[in-house]
Amino acid sequence: MDWTLATDSVSITVIENLMDGLTEFDDRLQPRPAIAARWDVSSDGTTYLFQLREDVYWTDGRRVTAGDFEYAWKRLLDPATAAEYAYFLYDIVNAQAYNTGRITDAGLVGVRALDDRTLRVELNKPIVYFPSITTFVVTFPLRRDLVERYGARWTDPANLVTNGPFTLADWRHEYKVVLRANGAYWQGRPALDEVRMYVVNDRSTALSLYETGGLDLVQLPPEAIPSHESDPQFSRVPMLRGYYYGFDVTAPPFDDPRVRRAFARAIDKAELPKILRGGELPTDSWIPPGMFAHNPAIGLRYDPASARALLAAAGYPDGRDFPAVTAMYDTSPVNTLVAENLQAQWKRTLGVTVELENLEWKVYLKRLSSNPPRLFRLGWGADYPDPDNFMALFTGYSGNNHTRWRHAGYDGLIAQAASTADPARRRRLYDETQRILTEEEVPIIPLFFVSQNYLVNPLVRGVRLNAMELLQLKTVSIQP
Amino acid sequence: MLALVVNRLLWGLPVLWLVATLTFALMRAVPGGPFDREKPLPPEIKANVEAKYHLDLPVAQQYLRYLGQLMRGDLGPSYKYLDRDVRAIIAESLPVSAQLGGLAFLVAVVVGLSAGIAAALRPGTWLDRAALVSATIGFALPSFILAVLLILLLAHAWHWLPPALWEGPRHAVLPALALGLGPAAYIARLARTSVLDVSRQEFVRVGRAKGLPPRTVLFAYLLKSGLMPVVTILGPLLAVLITGSFVVEYLFSIPGMGRFFITAVTNRDYPLIMGVTLVYAVVIVVANLAVDLLYGWLDPRIRAQ
Repeated sequence: MDWTLATDSVSITVIENLMDGLTEFDDRLQPRPAIAARWDVSSDGTTYLFQLREDVYWTDGRRVTAGDFEYAWKRLLDPATAAEYAYFLYDIVNAQAYNTGRITDAGLVGVRALDDRTLRVELNKPIVYFPSITTFVVTFPLRRDLVERYGARWTDPANLVTNGPFTLADWRHEYKVVLRANGAYWQGRPALDEVRMYVVNDRSTALSLYETGGLDLVQLPPEAIPSHESDPQFSRVPMLRGYYYGFDVTAPPFDDPRVRRAFARAIDKAELPKILRGGELPTDSWIPPGMFAHNPAIGLRYDPASARALLAAAGYPDGRDFPAVTAMYDTSPVNTLVAENLQAQWKRTLGVTVELENLEWKVYLKRLSSNPPRLFRLGWGADYPDPDNFMALFTGYSGNNHTRWRHAGYDGLIAQAASTADPARRRRLYDETQRILTEEEVPIIPLFFVSQNYLVNPLVRGVRLNAMELLQLKTVSIQP
Repeated sequence: MLALVVNRLLWGLPVLWLVATLTFALMRAVPGGPFDREKPLPPEIKANVEAKYHLDLPVAQQYLRYLGQLMRGDLGPSYKYLDRDVRAIIAESLPVSAQLGGLAFLVAVVVGLSAGIAAALRPGTWLDRAALVSATIGFALPSFILAVLLILLLAHAWHWLPPALWEGPRHAVLPALALGLGPAAYIARLARTSVLDVSRQEFVRVGRAKGLPPRTVLFAYLLKSGLMPVVTILGPLLAVLITGSFVVEYLFSIPGMGRFFITAVTNRDYPLIMGVTLVYAVVIVVANLAVDLLYGWLDPRIRAQ
């Protein structure tokens, strides 16, 4: 429940309903003012001045101040806190140096409360999506007095002080959270008096509870989707989460871009939603729909003839003499279905034999970071809904790029796009980088974007499920 | 008697040390660490995290540190449930598993013994056959199939009971049955065979011939000797049941300790793996001791030794 340390989607969903930050997302996932009434950006784009509202209070009656943000951000960056999401603020002056212990004076970090209402943030370089970052729970304000008074127990329901639409009434770890409406909430008291959230790990169990009246909203297990798809209670939300196969571009045969393009062209991605049946959206490009600069015209289409021609040009006509390669994935039913389908398609179209190997999740992660397989599957979900989050993934300096692909031109354009304020220019930069990534160099084959599938009790109104997997309850009501 | 208890408990200590050492070695031998993520942490962040949990020390030093902590009764912080320590997690989840396990144990013993003894007293009748058939089915069905069948029938079709969660006595019925009926079947078969065996022995026939009332023969002769093999398995059974079952807790969404036997390993949450393993070992040691004491009560020859 400590939002400085939160990493999993369950905690984040709960905290989102207990707390407000400087900004929040609107329905189109654009940042809009929340506790910050407005913000001004300096002409060079590196200094943000956030002006805070005066009518936002903690549940113990104290006003939320700029100092609460300064304290929270410095606590996030303190190496002793060891927060995993500290790097979210690395664009702030001296943030990385402080977090890595190169400097020890927190006063040098570029965030300061000028007074109770004004927070000044200095960045290393212009970052146009910075107000998107401040929607994320790790940047939410904290009460220094309470954290210091209660130590690790400051998040217990009896001690916890919050500022959002709900308060924490009860919390049984890994089982149940009870939220109660905050009557003094600055945006107005939510319509629901109480919300009970259960952590039900088995989705079939959750569906049983929904069907017997124990729950009003539930995520469907994949096997139950086909039988509920036409139900009026059914709702499907595409997520900002992509699924791809990557190549180790340094080892033969995938060191030849023609082979990588042949493998990409040989996949009829429309087959995947038919076997997975979860509302997957096949894709040839990498920036997901619903995100700025999404462009479905980019990417390599399914084209068996050109796939075979590319492979022949690379020296393997009809797949002859193609070396033995193994595709690796982490063990799960969905990953197995995808891997077997790709294996069959590559055999059918290119005449090549790809062996499959699956590993337990943590073993797989270790393998990816130490000795990446020639061909592997991975996914990526947005941390913030800006294309930078998807595209910077494959830069040479990204720790998440397991393809060993390094492209100085690509890296330069990504950095340029991150600090380009003009939308049209920015879009062109992302089009260009997407072409490099998915048409020319092809270190990865984007396959599809995933959807979440829900059932919602028809009496429950105003449920807004968004592509960031956030569930905002302040707008929800129950039809009398 | 007291000397026996103290002696056995003291012997438990090296057992626990061995369990802790083996577990420590095994979990470190498995590839992948607690902070390996789909989105790998930047190296500097990983360094902060590893320093916080002393994972940057040589493994031997980590081991000694851990043993030192254990001596002080400190099980360390969880690596998955940040800002919580393992002792608190176990203190919260073990009582839930123990309640459920206790109920399941009751189901197993009451149903198992009644069926087994009833069958043994009327061998060859329809009652015996019915008990045998149900026991075979109960024994062969894994608990998760049984759980799903119970949910479908009692929760979905007849709406008698809630299908999951842990909110009161009504919520305990289905998981207790799912967990207890399998062992009940085993106990029934064991009890039937052994009571039947004893009933053919000379001392029982002598008792009957001397005109003892059937009730005395049943309780003082048949059951007291016939239930020895059943008692043998009760200790480990109780230990297994009260420390929680992953499958049943997962299917019924019960906040017990059983699920940590699996999830702590998949998360590589080293302190939690160690914590639940040690709790399990302690419960086994204590339960086996209880069984030995029960033996002594049932069989004077053992007491004499």
